[in-house]
Amino acid sequence: MRRCIDRLFVLATAACLLFALGVISFIVGVIVWRGFGALSWQFLTDQIRSAGAAGGIFYNIVGTLILLATALIVCVPLATGLALMHGVYLKKQRSRERLWLFLSVLNGVPSILFGLFGLMVFVKFFAWGKSWLAGGVLLGLMILPTVAVALLERIKTLPRPYIEAAAGLGLSDSQRVWSVVLPQSVGGLVTGLLLGLARAAGETAPIMFTATIFAGANIPTGIKESPVLSLPYHIFVLAQDSFDPAAAENLWGSALVLLGLVLLLSLLALPARLNFHEEAEK
Amino acid sequence: MMNCKTWISRWPVGLVVMFVAVTGVRGDILKINGSTTVNPPAAEAAEILREEKGMTIQVDTQGGSSGGISMLGDGLVQLGMASKPVSDESRARYPAVQFKQIHVGEDAVALVVSRDVWEAGVESISREQMQGIYEGRIKNWKQLGGPDKRIAFFNKEPGRGTWEVFAKWLYGSSKKAPQASFPEVGGNEEARNKVASTRGAISQLSSSWADGKRVFALSIKLADGRLILPSNKNIASHQYPMSRPLFLLSNGEPKGEVKTFVDFLLSERGQALVRKHGYLSLDQLQ
Amino acid sequence: MSFFFTALAAFFLLLMLFLFVWQSLPVWRQSGLAYVTGESWYFRQQEFGALAMIYGTLVVSLLALLLAAPVGIGAALFTAEILPRRWRLPVKAAVELLAGVPSVVYGLLGILFLRNWVYDGLQYLDLLSGDTLLTAGILLALMILPTVMTLSDDALRTVPAAQGRAARGLGLTRAETAIWVSLAQSWRGMVSALLLALGRVLGETIAVFLVVGRRDNALPESWLSLRPLVEAGQTLTSKLGGSEINIAYGDPLHWAAMVGLALLLLIVVAGITWLGNILMRRKEGESYASLH
Repeated sequence: MRRCIDRLFVLATAACLLFALGVISFIVGVIVWRGFGALSWQFLTDQIRSAGAAGGIFYNIVGTLILLATALIVCVPLATGLALMHGVYLKKQRSRERLWLFLSVLNGVPSILFGLFGLMVFVKFFAWGKSWLAGGVLLGLMILPTVAVALLERIKTLPRPYIEAAAGLGLSDSQRVWSVVLPQSVGGLVTGLLLGLARAAGETAPIMFTATIFAGANIPTGIKESPVLSLPYHIFVLAQDSFDPAAAENLWGSALVLLGLVLLLSLLALPARLNFHEEAEK
Repeated sequence: MMNCKTWISRWPVGLVVMFVAVTGVRGDILKINGSTTVNPPAAEAAEILREEKGMTIQVDTQGGSSGGISMLGDGLVQLGMASKPVSDESRARYPAVQFKQIHVGEDAVALVVSRDVWEAGVESISREQMQGIYEGRIKNWKQLGGPDKRIAFFNKEPGRGTWEVFAKWLYGSSKKAPQASFPEVGGNEEARNKVASTRGAISQLSSSWADGKRVFALSIKLADGRLILPSNKNIASHQYPMSRPLFLLSNGEPKGEVKTFVDFLLSERGQALVRKHGYLSLDQLQ
Repeated sequence: MSFFFTALAAFFLLLMLFLFVWQSLPVWRQSGLAYVTGESWYFRQQEFGALAMIYGTLVVSLLALLLAAPVGIGAALFTAEILPRRWRLPVKAAVELLAGVPSVVYGLLGILFLRNWVYDGLQYLDLLSGDTLLTAGILLALMILPTVMTLSDDALRTVPAAQGRAARGLGLTRAETAIWVSLAQSWRGMVSALLLALGRVLGETIAVFLVVGRRDNALPESWLSLRPLVEAGQTLTSKLGGSEINIAYGDPLHWAAMVGLALLLLIVVAGITWLGNILMRRKEGESYASLH
């Protein structure tokens, strides 16, 4: 009887895993299968033509990269500050818990709310109109918890002797941060950034009101009224409104490029993620 | 290590600079926003002007026609695209703005149905019948001489020119339309896709998208019994009741780059783009 | 410096909360709590009741969680407890990678495939179309499945391997070890993983927008009725992502009603996060021992 239940358990959980892997392969398979035909050098290097039915997605890729770069620049100092605050400077358990709660809440804020917030603050109040900077700042804030927590987790796993030795030398908090904590945990920051940017790259909701338009933007030269094109918004618009079968092919091509970009970023973060788990297991 | 530290300690300065160093509005960008119906020819015209005249033109379709009107009103764009006239309320809301409607073509709103409905013989619909559907009194195609199938009505989302034209035909004015909640569709492709993949479906759709392969445009049955198809001829002669003008909207007389763009879309090449995307060019309207 | 950045980040969140409260004041003044419990939303008649959207959001989210949790946790039990080590890494890698597939891609697949599968598969229920709360729920379940799976796997693996070996040595079967040792010790981690996933589905916009049908005022005749699951509905996010935002701007009451939806969403998500934190607090104290 026990053996029987055991078998059943193994079978059931294996079925769950197979189902999950099946879904994953299906998603990637469909995107690659439908999108591969559209991919070409011209598709990647030409601008949009005929409202998405011809030409390529060069400025969409550029726009998404601009947004990601801005998000990165906004996020790094904030995330470092938050992680150090929690991991080093805050001495009281209670304050750390409060900061943790703040990070969790920020992490939970739905992306559409960042979009609405950006619409009120940047688009209307600052009167920037749609601007790459607004989108970058919003995406940077959105991925802040991911990055901060990844760095924080790394700080926490630092071998105790390191820190004790540093304290034994009579170093102050900030000396310890700069000479021991940060150099030893910068990998966590990088991993967190890669994961965060992978998420930011695919987000539509925070940027659709604030930063991105369908056609006609290229490299922004100012802040006000300087939107960019982007991959996710392109897909979103074409999914609702493509008048031409050729646009459908470009749509899937764009989805494939976006998926590739996201997977590339996650892939770069992967070794560190997996290493971290393996270490934690020992 | 110190390098790293100074590098990081400069960030707040950088951030503040980024937030403060807001450049003024650049005058050399032409921004256009509005109706997804007007968008295809306008976007293509923008591409041509970008190539030939090196103009910087941004085209977007946020919020459909209403988005075009409100963003022109707020001064966020220089040209609006609309598939409905600017209402008196909109004019009242933006008293400082002189909405000028530039007629660039004509389109019709078709009522399209899915293949099963079409093949079961439903090929026309009257105003009263459509009112029945909209008010929830007619729920089954049987009541219209069709198959025994519930009617899946996809309503165009608010703000779309398509909906305004539809409501005006049905009730005389969009404000008189009764309260109703149906599944909503946004862009034309979404509407066509959802109708094509749903049995018993009907929706409003720009007639140029009614391909006769996946979705089928119904004739409108007039009170005197005549059946009017949304054909080019019937739209041009205004026999078909749900035709609508396609507008570019400017604030006052077009000047400078706005004028360049408007003139181009009104030129023979621009009008060819209007025809290419399935609408009626001005010369086709007599 | 750290303090400055922490304060700056906190400022943004507080500013968001403040703006949502402030900008939605007109609708609270006008309707008070009736805004939350109001059953009809007809913006042309200036009627703003959010109940149907709250209902839609809850139904879609719970559905997604109910579907994703068993499969995700089951799969995690298999990877953490049974799968040989050399297979575990590639599987984990694949799942981790795909936790990041953008929601717009899911939306695209939802329009193209899932809508039709739900529509054809449930034809005996006489569905009006493939745009239903159920479709949105399934799509979100698929979307969070990798997240649930990988976080559960992480939680299971915080249980020291030696304990598992000891349990097996005592004669427990794999199933018994997994349930009585691993699951029992890591349930807090599991629950927090699920709460995280819940937060994500509550706020997901784009994928839901494309398949939920966006039908206003879709409330069930009885709260226990399952029929609304297979009919079109509206969620807080699908409303916020739609065209009404552009129409609402400029009309104070309508705009307030839209922002009010955002405020409701923020409060619900923050509440859930807070719950999750309370649940994890004891463990938090243990594992996040200070540096000192």
